[in-house]
Amino acid sequence: MEAMLDETVSTEDLKKFEQRYNEQMTRGSVSPKTQFEYAWCLVRSKYSKDNQKGIILLEDLFHKTHDETAKRDYLYYLAVGNTRLKEYDKALKYVNGILQVQPGNHQAAELKKIIKKKMEKEGLLGMAIVGGAAAVALGSIIGLGVALAKK
Amino acid sequence: MAAGPYNYSYIFKYIIIGDMGVGKSCLLHQFTEKKFMADCPHTIGVEFGTRIIEVSGQKIKLQIWDTAGQERFRAVTRSYYRGAAGALMVYDITRRSTYNHLSSWLTDARNLTNPNTVIFLIGNKSDLEAQRDVTYEEAKQFADENGLMFLECSAKTGENVEEAFLDTARKIYQNIQDGSLDLNAAESGVQHKPSAPRNAINTDQPANKEGCAC
Repeated sequence: MEAMLDETVSTEDLKKFEQRYNEQMTRGSVSPKTQFEYAWCLVRSKYSKDNQKGIILLEDLFHKTHDETAKRDYLYYLAVGNTRLKEYDKALKYVNGILQVQPGNHQAAELKKIIKKKMEKEGLLGMAIVGGAAAVALGSIIGLGVALAKK
Repeated sequence: MAAGPYNYSYIFKYIIIGDMGVGKSCLLHQFTEKKFMADCPHTIGVEFGTRIIEVSGQKIKLQIWDTAGQERFRAVTRSYYRGAAGALMVYDITRRSTYNHLSSWLTDARNLTNPNTVIFLIGNKSDLEAQRDVTYEEAKQFADENGLMFLECSAKTGENVEEAFLDTARKIYQNIQDGSLDLNAAESGVQHKPSAPRNAINTDQPANKEGCAC
């Protein structure tokens, strides 16, 4: 399963979807589909700058849509992007957001396992539990779950 | 687990493609976990699974990329086709539309993989005989005309699931043996893993997961 996170986008794919995004941008409006495709490539890039840009685009999509399935997809790739950036607390928050709505989502459950494993390996799990980060994260999970459940 | 030689000699890359809801992820789970996943939510983007199998006494690790069937994922999932040694193309025998779309999936598979990629057609949900919408004969003819291997399977009962994954691997292995598949080609979808222990530190693959069914 970790292969999911080791796999990176090819340069030509990234360029192709970037071009589509830029073309639409120049014309004044980017469709959610094009924005998502570009963002999905960005979060799979090996460069953290790309990952960050992908996250910004996904957050934007997440806030603009009312479609719950789309929200779930955005949350998943937000979690992937943040995991790549080693922003594990954020990644966990997003993945828990999915599990709140779809407790049986095995993709989210798998990703959560990976994030926890990475935190453990990097000695971060203890810190998150002891520190205030946990409380903040928990608050956000509930907020996220409620926000998702409403729409 | 992390150190030590590989306990397999080859890695074959597979992709699973086909319309939404035909049971691609359920086939993958039946194959890797030997369980049927009821109420499986639609796949987000792509999913990944592995299993080590044996063909002619050789241990082979299958790396399987299961793609989401929803249209909005299709543009990006196409990039996962590259370098696949095997493609499982799935339709649902109870939904004719999923069968009608096969030519479009086949075009993608042919255009985006190499000429030696083994394409295996799967008619899933064979347990739902009463709701059958596509006959076996018709699909068999389509498969023959297009040079595809073909089986009807049931991810629910497990019928023919092993066979579909294993027959694909046997065919790939046969292509290696008779020289029609060039392992040195960049996109053959096959990696040879010599069993010499010093290769165990080679990190180009997530190889420290053998024995793990995930």
